[in-house]
Amino acid sequence: MATEEISRTKTNSFLGTLREKLALKPMWEKLTWTWKPETKREAGDAIVRNFILHWFPAKVSLESLSWGYSFWLGTISAVLFLILTITGGILMFLYVPSVERAYLSVKDLEFSTSYGWFLRGLHRISAHLMVAVVFLHMVRVFLTGAFKNGRKAVGQNRPLNWIVGVALLLITLLLSFTGYLLPWDQLAYWAITVGTNIASSAPVFGDPTRFILLGGTTIEQATLIRFYVLHCFLLPLATFGLVSYHMWRVRKDGGLACTEKRYEEAKKQEQPAIASKTYSLLGITGGSAVDVQNVMIDDEKDKVPSSPYLTVRLAVVTLATLLVSILLTLLVRAPLEEAANPAVTPNPAKAPWYFLWLQELVTITTFTVGGITINGALIGGIILPGVLVAAAVLWPYFDKSPVSSIGRWFPKERKWQNRVFVIIVAAILILTFIGTYMRGPFWEIYMPWQEWEQAPRRF
Amino acid sequence: MKKQSDFDEARAKVLDAQSEADQLLAQKPKNVELIGAPNPSRRSLLKTLGISAVLVALGGQAFAMLRSLFPNVLYEPPQKFKLGVLDKFTEGGTFLEGDRLFVFRDKNTFHAISAACTHLGCTVKMVKLNQPKKVTVGGKEIEEQVEFHCPCHGSKYYGDGTNFAGPAPRPLDYFNLEVSPDDGQLIVDKATRVSQDFRLTV
Repeated sequence: MATEEISRTKTNSFLGTLREKLALKPMWEKLTWTWKPETKREAGDAIVRNFILHWFPAKVSLESLSWGYSFWLGTISAVLFLILTITGGILMFLYVPSVERAYLSVKDLEFSTSYGWFLRGLHRISAHLMVAVVFLHMVRVFLTGAFKNGRKAVGQNRPLNWIVGVALLLITLLLSFTGYLLPWDQLAYWAITVGTNIASSAPVFGDPTRFILLGGTTIEQATLIRFYVLHCFLLPLATFGLVSYHMWRVRKDGGLACTEKRYEEAKKQEQPAIASKTYSLLGITGGSAVDVQNVMIDDEKDKVPSSPYLTVRLAVVTLATLLVSILLTLLVRAPLEEAANPAVTPNPAKAPWYFLWLQELVTITTFTVGGITINGALIGGIILPGVLVAAAVLWPYFDKSPVSSIGRWFPKERKWQNRVFVIIVAAILILTFIGTYMRGPFWEIYMPWQEWEQAPRRF
Repeated sequence: MKKQSDFDEARAKVLDAQSEADQLLAQKPKNVELIGAPNPSRRSLLKTLGISAVLVALGGQAFAMLRSLFPNVLYEPPQKFKLGVLDKFTEGGTFLEGDRLFVFRDKNTFHAISAACTHLGCTVKMVKLNQPKKVTVGGKEIEEQVEFHCPCHGSKYYGDGTNFAGPAPRPLDYFNLEVSPDDGQLIVDKATRVSQDFRLTV
């Protein structure tokens, strides 16, 4: 490795001397790497000592690098969040959070700022992708039973990490909601109207919640600045903290769940003496003593160094995510509706696709029992979503499927659990489809191929 | 030369002394204050007080921060305002866009219906019917010229504001109307809801 490096420097003499003269590489290495790895072991150590890469383990198992097991959905979500943070930071210089100027500043961004349309489009597309990818990530983790604890490792707590994931999904949705309000167009205004009225339909706490969200009783400047601060500061801060904890927990829980089955297989075999010294980067975890019953896995045999195996794949995923986001940005222009107008509700007034299942739910759940009518806003907007979130949070604690079903796609042992989950997901997708393609003026049902009746826009 | 018995004797002495010391220590000192020794009850009291003080201080500041987000003064348009002279309103329904209000006139009687859907607050649209429709509301048969349809979730209301389809949980609000004594303009009070039978006769 080292000799190769030297010969490359020699053959490419011009660049080599330039580099030496500018002392670029040594300076960069001094800042980020404490020394250059010469062996595999040192390469592993280098990962740990590197400022950027220190959260990786020195070695990773090959199956956790597989494309087909995890589809790298968590990594893609993190990359999308990075894109959103960077584009969002630039957009903050160009956007004015005032009811008089918000719409005009977005219009400027779209039509007069150089590449403003691209920044806004990339931010919007990445946000849409993030909602989809975070949701798919959740589906993947559920279907592979990856929220379950496997081997009795000290400090393993996958159910907790699943709950953190549920919280991150909710925050992703809140980030999207607060984000599409900012242009202060018709979509924004009526989304706030409906969103805060759902909040106010809750008993007792409803009205104070709406009051604090709006900063008053009508949708005005106080409302916009509140959602702006939530969108640009509090929610990203919460996301950053929770994502960090989420990733740290993955390490603490012994890596991806797909590695569990190797421990199961190793348990069945007779344990040979381990040739080399095994050590874990986790160091000595909590607990009174080392569990001598624990099955040990020979690192040298089953794992590969994180550099380059993990880092190269990470680079590929990052570039692919960026590429897809950029291509979609070029293909799909970000829409901007008319400026917010409290007098006229668009007909039909549709939420973005990821909230249309909720819009369907609040439409179909008003019912009357014994003369008392319960608003669909409470049932479809608060109770049903609340039940879904509670079920997701509690599910790992009621899951009694065997350890052997962890980290595999479509295990027979979890057939019924997965069926229930898929049915719920399918119901959400069907409602989303109906909301997207089958609702026309006055929220009437239209077949996707049917033309909408021309409804009067104003009076 | 020391003998084994010497060692044993010495050990026995040490053990005796130790058990005597243990007994002494086990006795609680009566009316004795140990000067300079930490007083456990005082220590725990101070610890509890200290932690409580920190919690109260943090709680107070958290309350202050949250409370500041509930505005004490609202710069919102008044709920009671003038709508204009009576002649402005023609027979039938008039939609006042900015006020999200329908004002209905039947010769010399007036009533005002809110345009905010009772489901989730979107502005309903007045749909003029091609032919007057006879509907039964609460046992009474009425003839209606218009209906209200909501574009957000498809709620539907009869011409008198009674909901009959979609997710709306109750009829549209009726607001109090009066005539201004100074210039004879119509005044609406959106803060005062009235029954569906309310009519202002001029």
